[in-house]
Amino acid sequence: MNVGGAIRAIISFLIFVVLHYTLRPLLGWRAPMDFLVLALLLASVRVRPATAAVIGFILGLISDSLAPDALGAGAIAMTVVGFGASYLKAVFFADNLVLNAFFFFLGKWVFDILYFIGEQRVHGVELVQQLLLWSPLSAAVTAAVGVLLLFIMRPLLEPSPA
Amino acid sequence: MARAIRSNTRLDLIILSVCIVLSLAARALPNTMRDPVATGMRRTFLAPLVLLQERAERGRQSLLSADAKQTYLDSLSLGSMKAESLESENDRLRKLMGLGSRLRWGFIPVEALHGRGVRDETTVILSAGTRAGVTRLSPVIAPEGLVGVVDQVDPTMSHAMLWTHPDFRVSAMSPDGSAYGIAQAHLTGATGGYLLELRGVPFRSALKPGALIISSGWGGVWPRGIPVGTVLEEIKTTEGWARTYLLRPAVNPADVYSVMILRRDRVAKGLDGVWQNLAQVDATAQKIVVSGDSAARSAALAEAAARKAVLDSAARANGAPPVAPDSTRAVTPRPPPVRRAPVADTNVRRDTAPRRDTTRRDSVPARDTIPIRPGVTR
Repeated sequence: MNVGGAIRAIISFLIFVVLHYTLRPLLGWRAPMDFLVLALLLASVRVRPATAAVIGFILGLISDSLAPDALGAGAIAMTVVGFGASYLKAVFFADNLVLNAFFFFLGKWVFDILYFIGEQRVHGVELVQQLLLWSPLSAAVTAAVGVLLLFIMRPLLEPSPA
Repeated sequence: MARAIRSNTRLDLIILSVCIVLSLAARALPNTMRDPVATGMRRTFLAPLVLLQERAERGRQSLLSADAKQTYLDSLSLGSMKAESLESENDRLRKLMGLGSRLRWGFIPVEALHGRGVRDETTVILSAGTRAGVTRLSPVIAPEGLVGVVDQVDPTMSHAMLWTHPDFRVSAMSPDGSAYGIAQAHLTGATGGYLLELRGVPFRSALKPGALIISSGWGGVWPRGIPVGTVLEEIKTTEGWARTYLLRPAVNPADVYSVMILRRDRVAKGLDGVWQNLAQVDATAQKIVVSGDSAARSAALAEAAARKAVLDSAARANGAPPVAPDSTRAVTPRPPPVRRAPVADTNVRRDTAPRRDTTRRDSVPARDTIPIRPGVTR
């Protein structure tokens, strides 16, 4: 990835982070989209797994700092998701929107599973309901929004022609 | 090559492990240490993101509460509109109470119910009838003045003809009695509403715009002194022997909801002093205008005299003759006119005698011309 591509990727990453703290609370849906996971996934496929793990760790700490009771849970989940996404980029790094959507869906769902288990705030039936109902819904919304943003931000995300 | 890949993979796994260990350490922090860490991050490099989130939350709250706020604003506007009408109604009721206290006795306070029919601008239903002492041809008044007259009476309600009715007439005059006439409705146009016109005013009786017109008391229906309206302007008619004036009515029938019916015995006693204040105010205003003119004239004369004295003294100092009186004649105060004694000669020929101020028949104060229905006694 050249310098221009890196700058565009960083700008896209920052846009996703800003959207997470503006559009998401503005909409306030029960199954919200997660722009931080999208930003992590888009960054992870462009960097090495170690770097993706560090990015995930930092993003997780950022999200956890707004919910101090779960400090660390988001960091673990983001670290694993980032590392996994980067490790599996050969599988998912394809110019196929459906595959990208599934990539986003899976990334968000795995993040939620790790997060809610690590957070240890929800238990029993409520945890099952959260992981099997609300998390997939949220993952689906995240995937749809991710695909939409990929479509909109294609000029920023695609590598420039040599 | 394979060793480099393995080395990189090992490095990735090491870093992953470090990150996970750090995350677990953060998760395992006690609350006393967790909160300062989170707070420190929020207050430093995360502050812009926190600010963004707060604004977004606030925007969402504003969006969610927009409907409620609009409903609240609508209710408030509706309340303020009602308050305005209530204030005007209160004001009107206070005036009505003031009129009642001035009348003291012999009146029946009633509600005027406007119809929605074709003639709703000329008649109203009043919420009192014969049981309350209402009789036919009882005057209907408001604090501002004349409203109409009762033309049909039932036991519990009555029907009144407003001054806008084509058959309505009232004998009216100026408060000083210098001009009499008959007031009747004057339709200004299809959508212009009603005014009043004062017809049959003797040609020698000129009325200025703004002059108050009151009922004269002739005819027995209306007592003397009820305000009818104020003069707007003189209108030209084909009658060359009398003047006709356009009046702004004292009462707008559309605004009449609470009125008073005067009982016949109260009418017979007269309404002296009830609307006297209005007449006094009108007369006082006219006096102020006249005295203002006199004061201005006196000031001009005094200034001219002073100027003449200065010119005279200057001329005297120069040895020149004083200024000729002709040059200041126009501004020199005239001596007061000397009134001659009346001639006591009684043997005056009829053709040389000064003509008496004859009163033409058409200038005699006319009586109310409200038609009396057959079979109904006054």
